[in-house]
Amino acid sequence: MRRHIPATACGIGLVFLAAFPLVYGASDYDYIMHLWITAFFYAILASSWSLLAGYAGQFSFGHMAFMALGAYTTGLFNNYFYLTSAATGTCFEIPLGSWYFVVLDPIGVSASPYSCLDAARDAWTVDVTITKPSLWFGILFGILVGGLFGWLIGRLVLRLRAAYLALFTLGFSEILRAILSAEIGVTRGQAGLELDPLFPDGVSILGASFDATDKLPTYYVMFALLLACIALMMRLERSRFGLFVRSLREDEDAAAALGVHTVRYKLYTFVVTSMIAAAAGAVQAHYIGIITPNILIILQMALVVAMAVVGGLESIVAAAVGGVVVYFLLEFLRNDFTIGAVSIDMTIWRLVFFGAIVMLTLRFQRNGLLYAFIMWCTRAGVAQETVAKRAAAQQPPGKE
Amino acid sequence: MEHSIIFWPVVLWMIAWGVVGSVVTPRVFLRRDMDISNASLAGAFVGAASGPFGLAPLWYLAPKSTRGWVLLSAAGALAILIAAFALADPDNVCVTNGSLVASQVANGLVMGTIYALMAMGLTLIFSILRVVNFAHGEFYMVGGMSVYYVSAVWLPEMPPAAAVLVACGITFVIGGAFERLFLTPMYDGRVERPIEYAVLVTFGLVFFLQYFVQALAGASPVKAQRFFDFPIIRLPSAEDPWLIKTSKANLQLFDTVSVSNPRFTAAVISVLVLLGLLFFLYRTWWGKALRAVSQDRQAAAVAGIDPNKMNMLAFALGGMLAGLSGAVLVQAFSWVPQVGMLPALRSFVIVVLGGLGSLPGAFIGGIIVGMVEAAGTGCIPDPQRAASYIPAYGMLILTLTLLLKPTGLFGRRE
Amino acid sequence: MIDLHVNGVHKHFGGLHALKGVTFRVEGAELIGLIGPNGAGKTTLTNVLDGAIKPSTGTVYLNGARIDHLPPYLVAKAGIGRTFQVTRAFRRMTVLENLYVPALALNPGKSRKHFHAQAMEILEFLTIDHLRNEYGRALSGGQQKLLELGRLLMLDPDIVILDEPFAGVHPRLMEVMYRYIHRVNEAGKAIILISHQMESIFTLCRRLLVLNYGDLIADGDPETVKSDPAVIEAYLGEEEDQSGTGTARLEAPGHA
Repeated sequence: MRRHIPATACGIGLVFLAAFPLVYGASDYDYIMHLWITAFFYAILASSWSLLAGYAGQFSFGHMAFMALGAYTTGLFNNYFYLTSAATGTCFEIPLGSWYFVVLDPIGVSASPYSCLDAARDAWTVDVTITKPSLWFGILFGILVGGLFGWLIGRLVLRLRAAYLALFTLGFSEILRAILSAEIGVTRGQAGLELDPLFPDGVSILGASFDATDKLPTYYVMFALLLACIALMMRLERSRFGLFVRSLREDEDAAAALGVHTVRYKLYTFVVTSMIAAAAGAVQAHYIGIITPNILIILQMALVVAMAVVGGLESIVAAAVGGVVVYFLLEFLRNDFTIGAVSIDMTIWRLVFFGAIVMLTLRFQRNGLLYAFIMWCTRAGVAQETVAKRAAAQQPPGKE
Repeated sequence: MEHSIIFWPVVLWMIAWGVVGSVVTPRVFLRRDMDISNASLAGAFVGAASGPFGLAPLWYLAPKSTRGWVLLSAAGALAILIAAFALADPDNVCVTNGSLVASQVANGLVMGTIYALMAMGLTLIFSILRVVNFAHGEFYMVGGMSVYYVSAVWLPEMPPAAAVLVACGITFVIGGAFERLFLTPMYDGRVERPIEYAVLVTFGLVFFLQYFVQALAGASPVKAQRFFDFPIIRLPSAEDPWLIKTSKANLQLFDTVSVSNPRFTAAVISVLVLLGLLFFLYRTWWGKALRAVSQDRQAAAVAGIDPNKMNMLAFALGGMLAGLSGAVLVQAFSWVPQVGMLPALRSFVIVVLGGLGSLPGAFIGGIIVGMVEAAGTGCIPDPQRAASYIPAYGMLILTLTLLLKPTGLFGRRE
Repeated sequence: MIDLHVNGVHKHFGGLHALKGVTFRVEGAELIGLIGPNGAGKTTLTNVLDGAIKPSTGTVYLNGARIDHLPPYLVAKAGIGRTFQVTRAFRRMTVLENLYVPALALNPGKSRKHFHAQAMEILEFLTIDHLRNEYGRALSGGQQKLLELGRLLMLDPDIVILDEPFAGVHPRLMEVMYRYIHRVNEAGKAIILISHQMESIFTLCRRLLVLNYGDLIADGDPETVKSDPAVIEAYLGEEEDQSGTGTARLEAPGHA
């Protein structure tokens, strides 16, 4: 039965992905794991963008800005907040019981930054414990900041439609990028803000211990995040929320005239998708270990848009799968090759082909390559049913 | 900044009252049942310029036309900003060096003209197709690259003017072909949401053109030769306070204003093209047809103009204008495949500021943005920071315009 | 008992005075025709009633509660539903999903399956049940109008405003619309019918409101209104031809 193909495929895929790190044993293990983690990251972004653009019709080009907000919030949290067991006297600090919550002053870009904490460390004569608050708080904080800005931007763009909305959100993204690269005293600009790995002291799962550079724990964290985000979004999609955002995408006035609180659902969409993007950004930032303002150049946004378009804008799962597939394609097409005397630099040409594929997908298969297939499966029989019912209704006249 | 204690409170004061004005004024006007399309803008400017002292009479009188209030307050706000800046930073080059200011103003005008040319292409496309071409910067890039390859690599003997024509031809053809291949499904309802479709498909074109050019030309910066060398003049000949002095690469007026040759040449060509464009739009059949379609599509179709052809012409022509501004600027800046991003963003700012679809709006907007950028780069004390914020100035203008007056200065109401 | 009270509603658009003190009252399950030449202010009045625009001055009360400053979604919940002159079915949602929107908006906490039976009953009544899983865009223009009526049945408002429901509709579907109007009316709801098709108006309505340049120039039973010299002057004299063209614009039968 063709109706069950998508669900079956998803099930097989999930089992495969869950088991993959345990059974895969080739020598390029770390590389492949890295690809999977990054692919999950893009999948989260592409699927949340599809909720925003495909479902709610808000074609925002500021999605990466929320990702960057999450990344930079947790990055700053990670670099500037400390817990000490004694007062520093040099930093801004808040006593918390027997501990002090210390906020560093901007370190700047010098090669060996000397912060107020270093000054205090030099001055202390007793043994003082210095720790960082758990980075999971930073990630949580990043998600909240992403949601807050999502609400704010959503509020500002309520009246803007189509092209204006795209321009406004692009503008927001560019302003954020300018601020991040200009305020080097705080963000370290293009030099990059360094972050601790997700599990700085390693982690042990079921007796097996992994150190901070092992990919497996991060793989499962990112995978779980992807599943959680998709589960959340699918739940929303199947609830009234999904129905209402689609109705306001189709016709805002008509939806309002039928009792839908359009403003609330638009804002809701912005907040949810921004938080998801921020979560992905925050986790990825800790995984990569360094973030620069280049994470929100327009090419990155274009990549996410392209993934969602190729997968299918109107389906969260299709967009996520599109993200994974496109990312792997881009990676595996890196290999240069030579035909006769012409050597092809695939690192560039793959992007050319890719741009062409995006345009052609939009032109000829607007709903994405994958989504079309899903529709072919799940809507099997709708047309036949319509025809059959009509025929049945017309045969005995006045049946009803 | 020396006395930043003066500057920032003034700015904060202006912002605070500007916000109050922009939020409250529409409500006051709405209560009196007046047209509120300008209320946010008027409130913001009056608030920024005069705080409560201007807002109170504005709300009390609630004048029918706010144009005078807006212009006066805009000038006032600008004057306060400049005064605060001068007081706060008396040693800044912009305050002490008058000739630098004059040069910056001249450069702002020169660059503004070229920006306007590019933005007009964007606004032309919008006025006919109701589409924002996100790949506008790529046309700019292709225009510059074509000039470089034609005049420096393939045919070194070719006069630069001819190379510019070739660049125009190439971008015109790309624009026309793209429109035929990818935008035609928009017109007959085959696409459910045509505007969003166009946004996405032109976004795809960005990707494609940028990397296509990079694959062919590489990522290292190239730069074309100056089109013309100025003759060396000094007028009046021997006396000392000369009026005009030129070297091969530079032009100086009145011993103060200095404009570099490539920019000057580019601006002159831009002005010529603008005149040509006006002639085309107002004096030729095709131009009149274009304007007719932009004003009323159905009426134009009834009058025997094929709107389909006009779509193609507008997109090709718009792309060509972007290509042309790239072609004249390739002698002034070094060129990489990613060079189009910043000018594209700037064009978005200009057309939104001027009003999407308005040609005079694009021109005025171009000049304003040129001046703001010149002031921003010349006067901000920390040059590194100033350079990073260049794209942000424009985006700030864009954001404010969309919030205060989404139709722009000369925009038509949709 | 339904009680809509429109009291001295004015609306200005810049210099245009679109409604000039419109006052009328709807009590009980009335079936009212709202007519007037093009540009008379019919659609503006509809938009004011539905909350899409706020009146400049004047008030609207529904069942004793003031509704003229409520946003449209609250007006809808308060009990005014409308169709649009240009059909506004949700094109990329299935027919059933179209019907679920008002049902869920009205009943927080209930899910789609609560309304499945009701929706199917409505679709059968409107004779488009065979299309329940088709997308809105797959329906013909007339069927989309029926779909809009179906959404209104799910919303079940006290006052139903139908803006040009018959324009360009196949006669067979028109019959369904008549049935719909009677059903709603017999259920005790009031209907305000805007149409250029005098024939339908005169068959269906027992009361007519006539707008002309923002003025409510007549309010009464069809016979009186028909013979009102002001109405003849303003409306019937010039419009009768147009009502003819309205019926003549027939749509091709079948399904696109």
